[in-house]
Amino acid sequence: MSVRLLVLVPVAAAISLALSAVVDAVALPLFLDTTGTILATALAGPGVGIATGVVTSAVNTLRNPTFWPFVVVQIIVALYAWAAARAGLFRSFRTAIPAGLGLGVIASVTSTPISYLVFGCTTTGGIALTTALGRALGLSPLGACFFGSFVSDFGDKAVTFALVTSVLHALPRRTAARFPWALRAIGAA
Amino acid sequence: MTRLHPFTLLALAAALVALAWLLPAPWGAAGTLAVAAVLALFSGAGLTPGASPGSTGTGMSPGWRPGLVVLRTAVVTAAPFWLFLFILHDVSTTVALGLRITTMVASVVWLVAVLAPARLVEAMVAAGWRAGTAYLFAATLSAVPVLKARAQRIVEAQRCRGLSPRGGLGPRVRALRALALPLILSALHEVDERALALESRGLVPGARRTPLAPPPDRGAERAVRWALVALCVAALVWRLA
Repeated sequence: MSVRLLVLVPVAAAISLALSAVVDAVALPLFLDTTGTILATALAGPGVGIATGVVTSAVNTLRNPTFWPFVVVQIIVALYAWAAARAGLFRSFRTAIPAGLGLGVIASVTSTPISYLVFGCTTTGGIALTTALGRALGLSPLGACFFGSFVSDFGDKAVTFALVTSVLHALPRRTAARFPWALRAIGAA
Repeated sequence: MTRLHPFTLLALAAALVALAWLLPAPWGAAGTLAVAAVLALFSGAGLTPGASPGSTGTGMSPGWRPGLVVLRTAVVTAAPFWLFLFILHDVSTTVALGLRITTMVASVVWLVAVLAPARLVEAMVAAGWRAGTAYLFAATLSAVPVLKARAQRIVEAQRCRGLSPRGGLGPRVRALRALALPLILSALHEVDERALALESRGLVPGARRTPLAPPPDRGAERAVRWALVALCVAALVWRLA
């Protein structure tokens, strides 16, 4: 890994964690905690994306220990983002937002067993309350847990993909060209 | 306790969490929680309120008073989980999962209080890890508060320009883009600058660094770490048998 890509990992991980300040300012029910992972993958490929996801989870664990078991989700997000970048799905919102919705489904399917078995679906207040809503609607415990994860992940990942697409298009071409995957991700190479 | 080798501290925290899930509930998790609480109480280091992760280890002082702050932080962090568990599950499941989650929270809060990131980096480099791997964690820990402060400045600057992050979903999403984009682009523009700074300091792929002050790794501590691994493996085998 070159020094530039090595530096990209902590920068992208810090972006994921610092975006919580922006989310607080607009008061939207979003996490955006995979933004750095998706961005690093779209810029520099799956290895850098997976490293970013692992570092993000490790550092986030120091703030909230329940984040560590979800490191698997970060790795799957990186692999999915790599496939999306290869297919040039970051070239416009029309392609990026459906791809993000697809990731929302995959992320919620992946996180549900972890959330259910390890934490009893109590990872965040929002997920716990939507899980309780699912139970009230008559869903099984596992089904209600999936419902809770799906509601939180579905929109979050679509917004994250849209945000990464905005960033990739806003990057000057000279800067983008320094990263091995950036131009291909937006369909310019 | 802060003088223990960083790997020993990590092994203790990891073993407590693993044993909380491996041993039968509720007594196994109650035991691990008791150990984690005692460690927190006698950690000899306090948490600075509001400090960022990784910079929380403060002055060492004997006695249990700083440990009370560590213990209180763990209790406050774990409390919402008990509430949500109580809403979603019956009493026995609430107690079993609650004890396990509280062990996890208490162990990590204790670890954050006693483990200085700089010592961990020194220990990793001394153990033969690549300097780049150690850099990843240290650089992220230092970059997060910087970017959070910048995000706050961007929010204030955009508000001065008339951006309103209130209203319906559409205006909020547009406000999110207007706030997030400058933050991310400015961070990406720093990548080249940081890379140049690292290269000028000799951090190139494959290079080995010499730690300035590696934490001493005593034979007894290495034995404790192996004993903890053996304990976790024995608990796993016992549960699977």
